[in-house]
Amino acid sequence: MSSGGGAGLYLHVPFCSAVCPYCDFAVVPTDASRSVRYVQALLAELALLGEEELSFDTIYFGGGTPSALSRADLESILAAARRSLAVEDDAWLALEANPEDVDAAALEGWRGLGVNMLSLGVQSFQEEELRFLGRRHSVAEGERAVREALTAGFDIVSVDLIFGLPGQEPENLRDSIRRLAELDPQHVSCYQLTVHEGTPFHRRRQQGRLLELGESRQGELFELVHSELEAAGYSAYEVSNFAKTEDARSLHNQKYWDHSSYLGAGLAAHSFSGRRRWWNEPDLERYCSRLERGERPLAGSEELDSSELALEAVMLGLRRSRGLDLERLRADYGLNLLERNAAIIEGYVEDGLAVVDGCLRLTPRGLAVADAVVRSLDLDSA
Amino acid sequence: MEHVRNFCIIAHIDHGKSTLADRLIQACGAVDDRKFRDQILDSMDIERERGITIKSNTVTLEYTAADGEVYQLNLIDTPGHVDFSHEVRRSLMSCEGALLLVDASQGVEAQTVANLYLAMEYELELVPVINKIDLPAADIDRVSEEIDADLGLDPFEAIQCSAKNNIGIDGVLEAIVERLPSPGGDPEAPLKALVFDAQYDKYRGVVMLVRVEDGVIRKGQSIRLMYTEADHVVEEVGYLKLEKVATGTLETGSVGYVIAGIKTIQDINIGDTMTETERPAKEPIPGYREAKPVVYSSIYPMSSEDYGDLTKALDKLKLNDAALTFTKVSSAALGFGFRCGFLGLLHLDIVQERLEREFGMSLLLSAPTVQYDVTLTNGEEVVVDNPSFFPDAGDVERVEEPYIKASIMIPEKFLGAVMELCREQRGEKTQFDYLAVGRVEVTSEMPLAEVLFDFYDRLKTVTRGYGSFDYDALDYRATDIVKVDIMVNKERVDALSQLVHREKARSRAMHYCDKLSSTIPKHQFKIPIQGTIGGTIIARKTINAFRKDVTAKCYGGDITRKRKLLEKQKKGKQKMKMVGSVEIPQEAFIAVLKTEKEK
Repeated sequence: MSSGGGAGLYLHVPFCSAVCPYCDFAVVPTDASRSVRYVQALLAELALLGEEELSFDTIYFGGGTPSALSRADLESILAAARRSLAVEDDAWLALEANPEDVDAAALEGWRGLGVNMLSLGVQSFQEEELRFLGRRHSVAEGERAVREALTAGFDIVSVDLIFGLPGQEPENLRDSIRRLAELDPQHVSCYQLTVHEGTPFHRRRQQGRLLELGESRQGELFELVHSELEAAGYSAYEVSNFAKTEDARSLHNQKYWDHSSYLGAGLAAHSFSGRRRWWNEPDLERYCSRLERGERPLAGSEELDSSELALEAVMLGLRRSRGLDLERLRADYGLNLLERNAAIIEGYVEDGLAVVDGCLRLTPRGLAVADAVVRSLDLDSA
Repeated sequence: MEHVRNFCIIAHIDHGKSTLADRLIQACGAVDDRKFRDQILDSMDIERERGITIKSNTVTLEYTAADGEVYQLNLIDTPGHVDFSHEVRRSLMSCEGALLLVDASQGVEAQTVANLYLAMEYELELVPVINKIDLPAADIDRVSEEIDADLGLDPFEAIQCSAKNNIGIDGVLEAIVERLPSPGGDPEAPLKALVFDAQYDKYRGVVMLVRVEDGVIRKGQSIRLMYTEADHVVEEVGYLKLEKVATGTLETGSVGYVIAGIKTIQDINIGDTMTETERPAKEPIPGYREAKPVVYSSIYPMSSEDYGDLTKALDKLKLNDAALTFTKVSSAALGFGFRCGFLGLLHLDIVQERLEREFGMSLLLSAPTVQYDVTLTNGEEVVVDNPSFFPDAGDVERVEEPYIKASIMIPEKFLGAVMELCREQRGEKTQFDYLAVGRVEVTSEMPLAEVLFDFYDRLKTVTRGYGSFDYDALDYRATDIVKVDIMVNKERVDALSQLVHREKARSRAMHYCDKLSSTIPKHQFKIPIQGTIGGTIIARKTINAFRKDVTAKCYGGDITRKRKLLEKQKKGKQKMKMVGSVEIPQEAFIAVLKTEKEK
C-alpha cells in the first residue's frame, strides 16, 4: 500500500467510560441515550458531505473511545461515508480501542469491518502509573489486550504509551518499554504527558498539587524512549511514532504531516484541503442540534497564505524522521531554507541535532527540541 | 510683606504631603471643587503614581486669618531626592518656614529626619504637624515622643490634623500665619531674585519660578540673569494660582513666575540670580551650583526601527529637562542609540520611565558610568565616559576618576555597618560626628562610580531605610580602572562592557555572568557567558542547552493551534536582541544593572 495521492477520512467518537485527567480531546462520559443521538448526528453529517472532489484511501476512527461503539454503529457509519464520499474499496482502516473493551467478540467484529490497524490505549505497564493517569485497566489487562489483538491477525497492532509522568524514574519507563517489546506489536506511539489547560491535571498543577518533570529530565526520558525503542527494533518515523517496518506506519496519520487532504467528521473534527482548513462545533449539544436542523456543524475555518503554509510545512516536516524536503520547500514556497539560515543550521549539524542530505533531518536529540528549532529559523521567502 | 508667608511641606514619603497641600489649596478657595483633582500640584503622571515630586511647583493662596487680615501664602512644592538636590535647595532657599509632616501611625522616619536637617541648614522655622490622627492605628503620644527625642522639636507645638478627612486644617493655616516669619528684603534695593526652577510651556517658552529677595520685578523691565550673563525683557509676571495670574509686578518677598521671551530651558540656569539690567545687584545670591551630568549611560531602542522615535522623544524631554544631555552612539550589538548624561541614578530612572510611558518606547540601557580623565602614554589627555572608547591598556599612562564627599545621616546604632559599607565602597577619610543624641553623620570621600552601582540600595538595607544620603563633588583622583568585556557565546556584547576598579573587576564580571545566565533563556546549544579583561577570562558561566521542547501530539486537529502558537512565539522573539545566534531578552540588560539586596 502506498500513501498515494488519496485523502484521509477522520471519524470522531467522543465517548469515554470516564474522562482521563490529562485528556483535552473533545470527549464526554459515555451515556447510552447521548450515544444514540450522536451516531444519528454523525450519520447526518456524513450524508451532507459529498461535494468534495476527493478520493479517500484511509479512514481513522479516533476519540474518545471508538471501541465503545457497537459493531453495528461502526458499520452504519462506514456505510454512510461510502455513500457520500469516494472511498476506495480497499481503503486502509484504523480504529482506537481501550484495553478494557478488547475481547474475542469485539476483535472479531473489528476484523470483520476490515480494520487494518488497531491502536490500543495501554499508556503504561506500571500499575501506579495507570492509577495516576486515571486509566480503568490494569497492567495484566493491558498485556492481555495486546496479546489477543496480535493473535486476532490485524496488519498492525499499535500500543500507546505515555511518559514523563511526575516523578517517573527512567527505570520504570525502561521497564514499560521492555514489557512492550516482549509483546512485540508492530507499532508504538509514545507521547510525553502534556498538561493542557482546562484539564484536571492543569488545575492540580495550578494548585501546586502536580509537579511536572524538569525540562532536562523530560529530555533525558525522550532520548531514552528513542534509544530503547530503536534497540527493540522500532524506528521512529515521527517525534512520537515508531514502527517495526515501513508498512507498519500509520498510513492515515502521515497525511497530516505532508499537507495531504483530510476530511474530519464528528465532534470538533478538523478538515484540510488545498489552502483551507475548517473545523466542527466542539460542543456536543450544539453539534447534534445543528445537524438535527439539517445544518452542517461548522465552527470555523481559515484560508492559509503561503507563509502560513510554509511555516506548517517546516513545523510538520521537521517532526518526521525522513525530514523536511528542502527542494519541495523551495518549489512550493520559494523558500531557500539553507541559504537563509546557514549559520544556525550549520550549528545544529555541528551539535549533532540535525543532518542535511537534501532534506533537513533532526536526530533524536534534535527531535526533542523540534519546536525551538522551528522558532529559530527565518522562514521569509525571497 | 508682613502679610506674605513662603513655606514648604517636608515629609517622609506617604506621610500625606500631597494630600495636605490639596486641603490647604481647597481651604483657601484657590480651585473650584469641580476642577479639583488629587495631588493637584503634581502635574506629571509619573509624579502622581510614584508619589514623588520631580519638578518644583508653587501655588499662591489667599487666606483670611482669624485676625481678619488677608495673607498671601506661597506654598512651594519641592522634589524629594538627592539627584534633584539643586531644586530642593533652591526651593528651600525660597522659604522662611516649613511644615514638618509626620504620620500619626508611622511616626518619625528616615526622610523626616533627613529633611529636617536640610531645612535646618537653611534656617527655616519649623512647625511640626501630626497627620492622619483619625486612623485607628494613630498613636499620637508615641509620635509626640519621637518628635521630641528624634527631631528635637517641641511636641506640644505640633498641630494635629487629618488632611484626608479635612480635620484641623484651619489650625495648620493659622500656624502658618502666626508662627512662620514674613520675608525680609529691601524693596528699594536693586532687584535680586532667585530662579529656583523653570517649566517649559509650548506656547510661551520658559516660565521661570522666582523668589524676590530685594527690589521688585515689573512687566516691561529689562532683567539680567547674572550667571548666564544674558539680558531679557519681562513679558509677563505674576502669581501661580494653579494657573498663571498676571499681576504686572512681583513685590519683595513674593514668589511667582516670570516669562521673558526665553525659548529653551538650556538658555537659563536653575539657581541663577535675576537682577535689573539698569541697576544690577552687586552680588548674586550665594550657593549657585551648575547642574552638570555626572552619570552616563547609552540608551538604545529595543527595536532598531524605533531609533527615529527615540530621537524625537529625547528632543521633547529635553525641553523641560535642562540637565539631560545626549549624543548619538552606535553599538555593534544594539545598533544606533544615544549616550546620555544624567544628574544621578534617579534622574536616569525617571528619564527612562518617561520615555517608556509617555512615548511608548521599549528601551535598553547600558551600565551607568562616570567620566574618567585618561592620560595616554604619549602625553595626550582624553575624557572617557563610554567604555567603548576606553583606550587599550597599553596606551594608558594614568586614569583619574571623580570623587565625592558622601554625607550619611543615621541613627547611631547603624554606625558600624555604615563605616564598613564606606570601606567596601573604597571610601577614604571616613569620619563621623554626633549631631544630636543618637544621631550620627558619617562623611566619607569615595569614588562616584561606587555610588552609582549599588551604594544607595545597600545603604538602605544596612540602615533599614533610616539612612539619608547626600553628596558633593570633590575632585578627580588617580585610580586603577580596567575595562571588563562580556562575551556571550564568544561574541563581545559592547553594550555590556564597563569600566571598573581592578579590585572589583572579578566580582562585577561574576555578577554579570550570573545575571545573564539566569535571564537569557536556554537555547538549543550551550552558551558560554564570560567576563574578560583584555582577552583574559576572569569569570564564566554556562547556560546549558535545553533538551526538550517539542509538542507530543500533532495530528489534524492540532496543526492550526500549533502554528498559531509558533507564530506568536516568533513574534515574541522580535522583542529579543540577537547577538550572534543568541537571543538576549530586554530583562537581561535590566537585570545586570540590579544588585541583590544583600542578606
